[in-house]
Amino acid sequence: MFDPKLKQALARVQKPGRYTGGEPGSVYKDKSQVDLRFAFCFPDTYEVGMSFLGMKILYELLNQHPNWWCERAFMPWLDMAQQHRELGLPLYTLESKDPLTDFDIVGFTLQYELSYTNILAMLDLAGIPFYAADRDESWPLIVAGGPCVCNAEPIAPFFDMMMLGEGEWQLQKVCETVEQAKKEGWAKRRLLEQLAGIPGCYVPSFYDVTYQPDGRVQSITPNCPQAPAKVTKVILQDMDSYAPPTHFVVPMVGAIHDRAQIEVLRGCVRGCRFCQAGFLYRPMRQRSVGMLNEAARDLCANTGYEEVSLTSLSTSDHSQLEQLLDEMDTWTPQEHVSISLPSLRIDNFSESLIEKTTMVRKSGLTFAPEAGTQRLRDVINKNITWDEIEKSCRIAFKAGYSSVKLYFMMGLPTETMEDIEGIAETAQRVVDLYYSNPDKPKGKGVQVTISVACFVPKPHTPFQFVPQDTKEQLEAKQQHLLHSVHSRKIRVNYHDSSTSFLEAVFAKGDRRLAPVIEAAYRKGCFFDGWDECFRYDVWLETFREFGLDTAFYANRTIGEDEITPWSHMDYGVSHAFLVHEYHKALAAQTTQPCNRQCSGCGANHLLGGPCFAYDTDLVHENR
Amino acid sequence: MHTIRIWFTKTGEASYISLLDLQRVMGRALKRSGLPVWYTLGFNPHIYMTFACPLSLGQESLVESVDVKTEENKPDFAAWQAALAPVMPTGLAVVRVDYARIKAEQIGSAAYTITLPARAAQAVEEYNRLTEAVVMKKSKRGEKPVDLKAHVPALELKTDGESASFSVTLPASETLNLNPSLLLKFLEDRLGLPAEECAILRTALITKDGEPFC
Repeated sequence: MFDPKLKQALARVQKPGRYTGGEPGSVYKDKSQVDLRFAFCFPDTYEVGMSFLGMKILYELLNQHPNWWCERAFMPWLDMAQQHRELGLPLYTLESKDPLTDFDIVGFTLQYELSYTNILAMLDLAGIPFYAADRDESWPLIVAGGPCVCNAEPIAPFFDMMMLGEGEWQLQKVCETVEQAKKEGWAKRRLLEQLAGIPGCYVPSFYDVTYQPDGRVQSITPNCPQAPAKVTKVILQDMDSYAPPTHFVVPMVGAIHDRAQIEVLRGCVRGCRFCQAGFLYRPMRQRSVGMLNEAARDLCANTGYEEVSLTSLSTSDHSQLEQLLDEMDTWTPQEHVSISLPSLRIDNFSESLIEKTTMVRKSGLTFAPEAGTQRLRDVINKNITWDEIEKSCRIAFKAGYSSVKLYFMMGLPTETMEDIEGIAETAQRVVDLYYSNPDKPKGKGVQVTISVACFVPKPHTPFQFVPQDTKEQLEAKQQHLLHSVHSRKIRVNYHDSSTSFLEAVFAKGDRRLAPVIEAAYRKGCFFDGWDECFRYDVWLETFREFGLDTAFYANRTIGEDEITPWSHMDYGVSHAFLVHEYHKALAAQTTQPCNRQCSGCGANHLLGGPCFAYDTDLVHENR
Repeated sequence: MHTIRIWFTKTGEASYISLLDLQRVMGRALKRSGLPVWYTLGFNPHIYMTFACPLSLGQESLVESVDVKTEENKPDFAAWQAALAPVMPTGLAVVRVDYARIKAEQIGSAAYTITLPARAAQAVEEYNRLTEAVVMKKSKRGEKPVDLKAHVPALELKTDGESASFSVTLPASETLNLNPSLLLKFLEDRLGLPAEECAILRTALITKDGEPFC
């Protein structure tokens, strides 16, 4: 049974089931028989982390090695974090309940900039020193992976090593190396040198960064022969070389996305210029129908889930999606399993897709036009037209849907108040469309929800050069949008711009931010991504104390030839391509999706050949 | 159609799952087992399940049960138990599978074993000397006073090294249900028992006629 202190803590907190482990599918091993222990840390709550597919992929892969044991740890919510401190209970993994200090590797996934302080909180609760320089061989190796590694310079001093790209092969290679180092008693320096030689592995302490008097980066130079001048991400060249995980740890208390997930493809062909994921995960690669169908069936049987989601950045771009749905429809109805497609595009949304995904249960309908006018949609390269929006909504209304959610962004480059009015107009036209439909359900009104996020310019995208709108500009636009909406059928959701501002600072930040993040944490900032915990004034005050200007990071135009804090990170897309796309954006010129025409971004080098056989792999025609 | 009663423990990790979560957990376990359980009809079909006498969060039990239905003619209970054993989460172990013989409405009381630190024995002794032990019981219709002594006149403490325990039987019917935490709260507030260091284990369900619930 549990440690008495843990029992005491569990009796005092909300939803204690988040902190106990023991879920079906969780892996238990005899630690005396294990050569390498890996603590997979998710720096947000259990509910958020247990929705994350990446953890499931790596958990299954690492635990397939009989002599390795991968366990899970999450950021405890405020009440539990307080119990850890009060009772002197170090942060533990859910499986063995051993403290993080007992592990060989403590690995964090960096999904979101505003979870950075939670990393410090987790290290703190585990009693691990923050800075890599303060940890010798006796401490676990602290590593990170995930999309934010593409510029994790603001937290680089805290990590021994970071991994760029896809972890399936790479993380196993890292674990092998650490296992060998442990057996042969290597010094930490020797281990780091070996790790730096693994593709995609970045050892921050092996790079010296100098700055110009105005604060811009002057140079980034390796200080160790094993460290490459540029770290190139690794990818799986063939998505069929690794089957999707078919065993999930099934949470017993509410995860946000509590369902089976099958990753149908990786990367995205669309090239939306604001979308960091679209650039980080290039090139697009898809799994075969046979592998996906089999994995989906096994996963549902092993987990007991009655909903399977076909996930990816843009699932309807899978060239054989209809075929996959047909295969799945041969077994899902009798197994009481429903299929959901979380990321549909308006331009290839069809009646047959609706039919095939609602055979068992009907789920909600969400579209993301992202911008309110055609001009601005061209700027961001979201290549959809009003006609396509109209067609998709018409199909949805005909199929009995009466509520539609539309996602937009504000603060996009070149945006004017006219574009903001366009958001309201788009929603109004959807409302009008509903009432013009003669077959609409009797007595039922339409509900159109528009959700507006604040645009955050991100590294490795064509918009990395652009400044973010200031808080004042964004707030004025939010007010203008509210005044432009004239129907009670339209609901407007928007987000506090100050969190987006801090996100922009971190996204484009450099190593000088590390002490600021540490100081803000010491003042009680963590869970910054949660409105009830976000303390904007404390952050501003802390930046001032360190003499750093937040606007320098968030609201400044970056020169096209400037050395950025992330210029030693290579995600396969060339700098010249980003600049070219930036210029096209300013001229409101669009770029074709990759599977229709190659635009020469450079990511095909990662495959060693073209991404698509252009004579056979055609993008869906509009239906 | 038969109604089948699956008996299971709810201990350790599983004692921290609420009833709402338990319904989902059990539904998925049944699905993984592949057993021919009956689905409700209608727009949103789901596995029919009812739980007898739900347990409070944090308490443990050896005698939890869930009723499901099946269209199998002659269910093989040993096979059911074998199918469920490997798919149940830690702490939820299947003890027995059988027909539901008695309706859950017939449950009249539940027996518990309370474990406490031996150094706190004096709280129990003092309880035994009291003439009344009134606690406020909260319900949907508000609070009302209940004299614990009317239901539990005395507690018989057994000491085993640093730990001690007593057994207690409390009403658990639709008209009156007394949670053992009420007793612990009383012992804590009035007699200094360290309730956080105590554990509650449900050991039996008893019908209104005094028979074991089965």
